[in-house]
Amino acid sequence: MQEIVYPGDLIADTQIRAPNVYVENGKSYSMVLGFKDSSGSGIIPFEGGWVPKIEETVIGIISSERNNVYEVDLGSHHRALIIGGKYERFSFQIGDVVEATVKDIEDGRTIILSYPNALKEGTVISIKPSKIPRLIGKNNTMINQISQGTSSKISVGMNGMVWIRDGNVALATAAILRVEEEAHVPGLTGRIKEMVEKR
Amino acid sequence: MASKANKPELIVNGRRLDGRDFNQLRPIKIEANVLKNATGSAYLEWGNNKVLAAVYGPVEAQPKHMADPSKAIIKCRYSMAPFSSLSEHNRSGPNRRATEISKVTKEVFEKVLMLNEFPGSQINIFIEILQSDGGTRAAGITAASVALASSGLHMKDLVYAVSVGKIGEHLVLDLDMIEDNYSDSDMPMAISPRNGEILLLQMDGEYTKEELEGAFKMAAEAGKEIGAVQRNALKRVYENVVSKYNGE
Repeated sequence: MQEIVYPGDLIADTQIRAPNVYVENGKSYSMVLGFKDSSGSGIIPFEGGWVPKIEETVIGIISSERNNVYEVDLGSHHRALIIGGKYERFSFQIGDVVEATVKDIEDGRTIILSYPNALKEGTVISIKPSKIPRLIGKNNTMINQISQGTSSKISVGMNGMVWIRDGNVALATAAILRVEEEAHVPGLTGRIKEMVEKR
Repeated sequence: MASKANKPELIVNGRRLDGRDFNQLRPIKIEANVLKNATGSAYLEWGNNKVLAAVYGPVEAQPKHMADPSKAIIKCRYSMAPFSSLSEHNRSGPNRRATEISKVTKEVFEKVLMLNEFPGSQINIFIEILQSDGGTRAAGITAASVALASSGLHMKDLVYAVSVGKIGEHLVLDLDMIEDNYSDSDMPMAISPRNGEILLLQMDGEYTKEELEGAFKMAAEAGKEIGAVQRNALKRVYENVVSKYNGE
């Protein structure tokens, strides 16, 4: 197992720019609990909130509508909006699940979404946002494996919400929750493969 | 402080009442991630102190006019359970002492957390004392620090807190309830072990300059021990999952 890094641990005696590393007095320290990234100098955190980035895909639930402006609940403290225009009219209902792209982030907490796409029917589950990269896997390997093994349609939002439809939804949900729990245990791809192909 | 008239002998044959050395901590046990609903949590036993700490957030700041558009705000609630102590703090709910400790704890974590990453939000820290035996604010900060690390919030350091007191001419580490009540002075402090920065320092009584320096040295030594327990607690959470599935 890789070496665990704690907040405040010295990473380098020089200034480095890497994920989850901060610089003070010319030295670099870790700011999370996690382990060292084998392919870079950053730290992969065990847990963590979601920090939105532009052009990320998110999944949310429409919570209110007013004058063609829809507010979306992304399961975080952010306020996310889909703003319709003169030529762009949407017809979402409150409670609809939508997939959208982050277009802009204003003052750190208001997110403007674009290209909304309603996800009809299906199930939405919420997992820790820090585990989403592991769920997707390198070149989408992990999510494709679950999707093919259970013949489900799966859509993943970087904010931690996952939408599943068709196929064996129960098995897909179990597999996703298992990825969340065991994200840092080596050999996960093999175990998930075994899990989805056994039935 | 209790009256000096009925002061018991706190040092007998060069040892403290509970048999500890002057620079010896009480046994500390921490377990991280004990509450499922919280973003991060920790349960700590420090001698007879039993403390539960939970962190929620970042969530939307409430009330909204308190929200800071440039950074997150921290709300901290230190509270003693009504059954936590034999006599003194047996009244539940916020009181003068709890409000003060909540404030100083909040100020410790304001220095440590990277608040500018979540503007307009709020981070809630709850510290509940289930059983108290002196030094609960230090125990609370130590537990909350583990809870924050397990929540994954970005923080500069894993802080710890400990108290150093004075009995007669002797500096003593980590006072328990009786020592706290009858000692000549008591100084809880919270320290960032990375650079030795002092984040909390409260003092009851008097110290000379030399004694103060001795107290800082004592606290720094104790910090290595406390830090090791904190790290072990965090490490165990992830090792348990690994061993569970490797054993299959």
